[in-house]
Amino acid sequence: MGVTCVSQMPVAEGKSVQQTVELLTRKLEMLGAEKQGTFCVDCETYHTAAATLGSQGRLSLAGQAGKLMYVMHNSEYPLSCFALFENGPCLIADTNFDVLMVKLKGFFQSAKASKIETRGTRYQYCDFLVKVGTVAMGPSARGISVEVEYGPCVVASDCWSLLLEFLQSFLGSHTPAAPAVFGNRHDGVYGPADTMVQYMELFNKIRKQQQVPVAGIR
Amino acid sequence: MEAPPVTMMPVTGGTVNMMEYLLQGSVLDHSLESLIHRLRGLCDNMEPETFLDHEMVFLLKGQQASPFVLRARRSMDRAGAPWHLRYLGQPEMGDKNRHALVRNCVDIATSENLTDFLMEMGFRMDHEFVAKGHLFRKGIMKIMVYKIFRILVPGNTDSTEALSLSYLVELSVVAPGGQDMVSDDMRNFAEQLKPLVHLEKIDPKRLM
Repeated sequence: MGVTCVSQMPVAEGKSVQQTVELLTRKLEMLGAEKQGTFCVDCETYHTAAATLGSQGRLSLAGQAGKLMYVMHNSEYPLSCFALFENGPCLIADTNFDVLMVKLKGFFQSAKASKIETRGTRYQYCDFLVKVGTVAMGPSARGISVEVEYGPCVVASDCWSLLLEFLQSFLGSHTPAAPAVFGNRHDGVYGPADTMVQYMELFNKIRKQQQVPVAGIR
Repeated sequence: MEAPPVTMMPVTGGTVNMMEYLLQGSVLDHSLESLIHRLRGLCDNMEPETFLDHEMVFLLKGQQASPFVLRARRSMDRAGAPWHLRYLGQPEMGDKNRHALVRNCVDIATSENLTDFLMEMGFRMDHEFVAKGHLFRKGIMKIMVYKIFRILVPGNTDSTEALSLSYLVELSVVAPGGQDMVSDDMRNFAEQLKPLVHLEKIDPKRLM
């Protein structure tokens, strides 16, 4: 996978989520991007049952209590499953990992109504792959995700300025800063796990937002 | 950051539960060659395959009396091969006439940071060993003849010592549950290996 930047697009003033998505996709089509199917990235949150740590009848107050584990899927990698901890390792496994999570239900409980996903269209523009999706929790749309991948390059520091220029051409003032994951790898090679970390951070940000964010001053 | 509310509702999978059918036996070191020779004749025609694996067994202790066991296995001689995570359930106590040991099994291929991830989940390593031996196939049946080595210094797979003067022989099939034909076929194959090795259904509980 090439270097990818995942960011959130705030909803245009006076418009709905769907209308903003349409505005964006129309801009992309005018640029000359070609529609290439759909995509979906989803995320399920598990809570380590705090009572599993420590001895009987005593809730452990050790640092591990109540850690959150995210299990994510990306339609770009249909046979894979990504499991990660915030600021922790990201495991890439095959889809049988979901079956294992069912077996582990005594130790890891699914956080209530935590399933969040983004769905939308894929656009190919030369070496860029752009995915604009509606982030939804259950039936309610909560925001817009924009993912841009520059296929030919896997070293973030080498192509960030090019990516930034492309992002500015259709996101304008909503262009994001360089993602934090770019600084994480000591060898600088970008991988699919980094994209999933970015989505996890985006989903967490959107979950915390009470309502759909609007561009401009409120 | 406050944790989201927790519920006991499980997330349902939707995939078929696979079972592992297993027969085990052993041969002394000096009988190994004759067994390999016979297996080469009986099994599917393929290049003789050897393996050298390092397996670590992890436990997650919880409120339940018995801890959750996961096995993480990596190849030491095949660079780039994914790590193999395996869950094995309790043996199905059913038909005493069933010829093989049947237990639920989930096999997952993972990236290399598996052990770090398991530790983060709360698992702790219980024991580890090195397995070195031969692999044969006949249709969906897998036959492994291998020696187990004890690791003398934890984490150092170079200094090992053989656990015994014999090789463990395992005949296994991973298939959906309820297929009694599978255990019949396994029993028939096991008959062909007698008297070199006697493969039988060994209940792990009886060994405790």
